[in-house]
Amino acid sequence: MKNYSNTYIFVYITVLVTVIAVVLTLVSTGLKPRRDRNKQAEKCQQILRAAGHDIDRSKAVAAFSNLAVPLTDDGRQYRVVCADGTEGVDIRLDGKGLWGPIWGYAVVSEDGQTLKGVAFDHKSETPGLGAKITEEAFLKSFEGKKLYDKDGKFVSVRVLKPGTASEIAEGNRVDAISGATLTSKGVDKMLEQLETISLSSPEGASAR
Amino acid sequence: MKKYLGPLSKDNPILVQTLGVCSALAVTAQLKPAVVMAFSVTVVCACSNFIISLIRNTIPPRIRIIVQLLVVSFFVIMVDLLLQSFVYDVSKMLSVFVGLIITNCIIMGRLEAFALSHKPLPSLMDGVMNGLGYGLVLVVVAFFRELLGSGTLWNHQVVPDSWYAAGYLNNGLMILPPMALILIGVIIWAKNGVTER
Repeated sequence: MKNYSNTYIFVYITVLVTVIAVVLTLVSTGLKPRRDRNKQAEKCQQILRAAGHDIDRSKAVAAFSNLAVPLTDDGRQYRVVCADGTEGVDIRLDGKGLWGPIWGYAVVSEDGQTLKGVAFDHKSETPGLGAKITEEAFLKSFEGKKLYDKDGKFVSVRVLKPGTASEIAEGNRVDAISGATLTSKGVDKMLEQLETISLSSPEGASAR
Repeated sequence: MKKYLGPLSKDNPILVQTLGVCSALAVTAQLKPAVVMAFSVTVVCACSNFIISLIRNTIPPRIRIIVQLLVVSFFVIMVDLLLQSFVYDVSKMLSVFVGLIITNCIIMGRLEAFALSHKPLPSLMDGVMNGLGYGLVLVVVAFFRELLGSGTLWNHQVVPDSWYAAGYLNNGLMILPPMALILIGVIIWAKNGVTER
């Protein structure tokens, strides 16, 4: 076996690390605009999805500028035209999944009472289990659900295992995903954020 | 040519060497991520095998693991960046698992066992074949898990509604990670029954 001097080893690894770092930095910076465009288009597509529009991601940005008007400066609330022609308020939600952050967009009707639609996304939930929160079947189950009970008290839309907590009315709950208890709980918790925001949304909408 | 075909059957990295089982559990609940994962691992394994083989005579043995790790990480990050930029949906599907390719023992194993002692082109072939051997098992496991666990294939429903109406139920255990381990065990058992040791 050849004997390498310490100097050789030191220079060797320094050069290697530098070359790799430079190449990766160049590639990463070069592709950044493209990645940002993808992310922006995805956000537009998800907000429109929550409002009931099924739009291809390549057309989402253009469609979004026609259908949505920002309500706040931080890009967390928009006024959107829904697929059924009515207007609603889109609210950004953030929460915790099993492995990492989950987030989503909820479109609430103008009177702040009804959920018109949702779109969820996640950083690292398990494919086939927690990742199912992004699937059409799960998202569909939220449409038309009520945020308040019949006494006018806020209960949010709960994500619950079928057959449990029977005191929560059918109009206030959706079925959790089997095998993904913690991710479902994360979604449940995340929707509670609608309490503070949806109360202020009718005023927010009329102040426009 | 024949010696490169080993990883597909009698020298399969998952079935015989039991390497890379961890990621085989994670991405096989559905067919689509399994195929993308298989493809990514094949690319990373082939490229890093090739590069390590090219520079094999300059690598000081004392730091060879560090050098291997650097090269593997380089390709994994490249794959991740390219997926995010050009096939965004696919990168969404694999999410964190792309980063975990770095820790896939198959890749480091091939670098140690093959690339360090062979010429670049045979190393490239060896990388491709081991990636495919890994992918083959992934796809077979994912096929059964998605079919029996969700009643779908490639996200299309294949179990007819009439079956569900007649009382057929998806097997919930199939989509949980332990079932991947059991399935891999069954495949190893079946394989050992067919091929001579």
